[in-house]
Amino acid sequence: MTARDDILGRVRAALGRRSIDPASVASAAATLLADLPSTRPRLLASSLAEAFIARVTSPKVAATAERIESTAALPEAVARYLRARDLPKAIALQPLALLRSLDWSGFAVRDRVASDEVAAIGMARWGIAETGSLVFHSGADTAVLANFLPLHHIVLLRKADLLAYLEDYATLVAGQPMPRNVNLITGASGTTDIEGSLVLGAHGPRYMHVVLVDA
Amino acid sequence: MQTSVISFKARADAALADPTLKLAIDRTTGTAERKRAAALVDFPQFEAARERGKRIKDHVIEHLDHYLLEFERNAIASGAKVHWASSADEASRIVVDLCRQAKAKRVTRVKSMLGEEIGLPHALDAAGFERFETDLAEHIVQLAGDRPSHIVWPSMHRTREQVSVMFKKAHRVPHKDETIEAMVDSARRELRDKFLSADVSISGANFLIADTGATCTVTNEGNAELTTSPPRMHIVTAGIEKLVPSLPHAFALLRLLVRSATGADVTQYTTFHCGPKKTGDLDGPEEFHIVLVDNGRTKMLADTGLRDMLRCLRCGACMNHCVVFKQLGGHAYGGVYPGPMGAVLTPVFGGLKESRELSHACTLNGKCQEVCPVDIPLPTLMRGWRDRSWREGLEPSSMRFGMGIFTFVASRPWIYRLGATVAVRMMRLFGRGGWIRGMPGLGPWTAHRDFPVPSGRTFMARYASGEGRQK
Repeated sequence: MTARDDILGRVRAALGRRSIDPASVASAAATLLADLPSTRPRLLASSLAEAFIARVTSPKVAATAERIESTAALPEAVARYLRARDLPKAIALQPLALLRSLDWSGFAVRDRVASDEVAAIGMARWGIAETGSLVFHSGADTAVLANFLPLHHIVLLRKADLLAYLEDYATLVAGQPMPRNVNLITGASGTTDIEGSLVLGAHGPRYMHVVLVDA
Repeated sequence: MQTSVISFKARADAALADPTLKLAIDRTTGTAERKRAAALVDFPQFEAARERGKRIKDHVIEHLDHYLLEFERNAIASGAKVHWASSADEASRIVVDLCRQAKAKRVTRVKSMLGEEIGLPHALDAAGFERFETDLAEHIVQLAGDRPSHIVWPSMHRTREQVSVMFKKAHRVPHKDETIEAMVDSARRELRDKFLSADVSISGANFLIADTGATCTVTNEGNAELTTSPPRMHIVTAGIEKLVPSLPHAFALLRLLVRSATGADVTQYTTFHCGPKKTGDLDGPEEFHIVLVDNGRTKMLADTGLRDMLRCLRCGACMNHCVVFKQLGGHAYGGVYPGPMGAVLTPVFGGLKESRELSHACTLNGKCQEVCPVDIPLPTLMRGWRDRSWREGLEPSSMRFGMGIFTFVASRPWIYRLGATVAVRMMRLFGRGGWIRGMPGLGPWTAHRDFPVPSGRTFMARYASGEGRQK
């Protein structure tokens, strides 16, 4: 007998059951998700963009955000952000075709994030208005570490990629192969481990800036 | 799991005599209580969400074999290797063997209560690996060489002043300013190269998603992803009760877990791990292992007096709101899990004989069940242990003798009334200004505070005289 057989044997003995009908279990599991609006918080505004920005800039998430009209305006927004904080115009850029196609002249650009990177620019797949979360999938153009090593994390998000609730993300990816990592990131890194008092920039980024692009 | 050999009473006495500890506990639990209350004001749907969460967990528990097999099938299909462990020792052995297989020198760990439960930190040290705890609180616990005292804030028994001394001694470039910000920064500098140079990372799981074979971890510091991305092997250890049918079920529980734990709406980082590095991925481990751990959980499943405990999400709300925990802190409980949930779980792992006192460290005020996000009847489960301890003859003879006398008196009303009348008169004799400073038999009470003098006659005397009766 292996540990696997032992454990399954003990579970079945405890439940006093021999066979199981997968279809009835699946339907019971689906019933548990009926009437989701009754157990979810309300959004902070009626438009997804406004609700998302309100959430992401609320004290609970404590990120900063701005809106631009087109992705072409991203380099200028990044330059403004860095200038306002007296930071050098040096960035690590996520190796996404869309980001690379922009005009980064005047910036020192790397495509790998260093272990002490000051600022990294990335793009989220989706944003969730309920929580102010950004969704990243690991892959050939997205390193997981790029979202965690920099001190300033600047993230581009398209308005069309805004979702209302966490479950809307689940619905969207249902049936598709999962990436190795799905990262839902909500604001900057923080810790309350010393006396319960909140300090940002524990191990991950200390600052999160979201740039929401209309088109 | 290690259960301390000295008695609960001795540990409780030591905790009560430590003024620094009381200060440290108050600072963290006070904040936790306030923030949870504020989070619920913003989420009036909490009660309905709690009912849904409870039903999801019960559904999984009732179909645990089905979900275990579904999870295993999908995890293997994603490229993960799945291992099963009946006991704590077996689970630790699997992890240590995997680390040896990977020829690991340096192992980084993400805080996981299951890891503590199976004694993993100790097992890794004993096997000679260089172990680094990356969660800030666990880092503090490791530097101090002690044990976690809370499941969400493992180092809550330390004040910032104590942390400062430890960091200055251990860190290569320690903080200069005596602020919590500067101390957090010091840990950030100290641990960064440890993340990047480890051979194996080990984490726990908050949820196991059956229909994808993914594991989910929620953190706020970002240490989990920094820990699990660079090394060539990532090992997840998880209790078999962590299963959920699908992603939306996990989200329903996530809303409850985070608000109950820290008062935030969602953790900064909610990460799903699904298999090892895929072709073309820019980072990630070559090997991904999941160790499914029983360690007493099937025993709880078979026991109707404990099955409800398998719903536990490990949020810590029960201890943050417990009047006993707030006086003692976590170490007095002796086990890995403190507070009300610990009083229920510790006897499962370590045996009732060693931990029977824990279920008595409870006023039965019901607050723990009230704040539990999945409505676990913790007071009932603790009473269950008291009952079992009595039936198995584990209560000391002084207690059995005392209860014997009480039963004799209470079942003979005339003796009871006579005794109560005499006691009330005696207490009046010893009273001064409405308070008793000392009296034979009241010593343990009056050593610390005065006892109020009974205000009038006994209830039965007043009842017999017709006072207060309905006209």
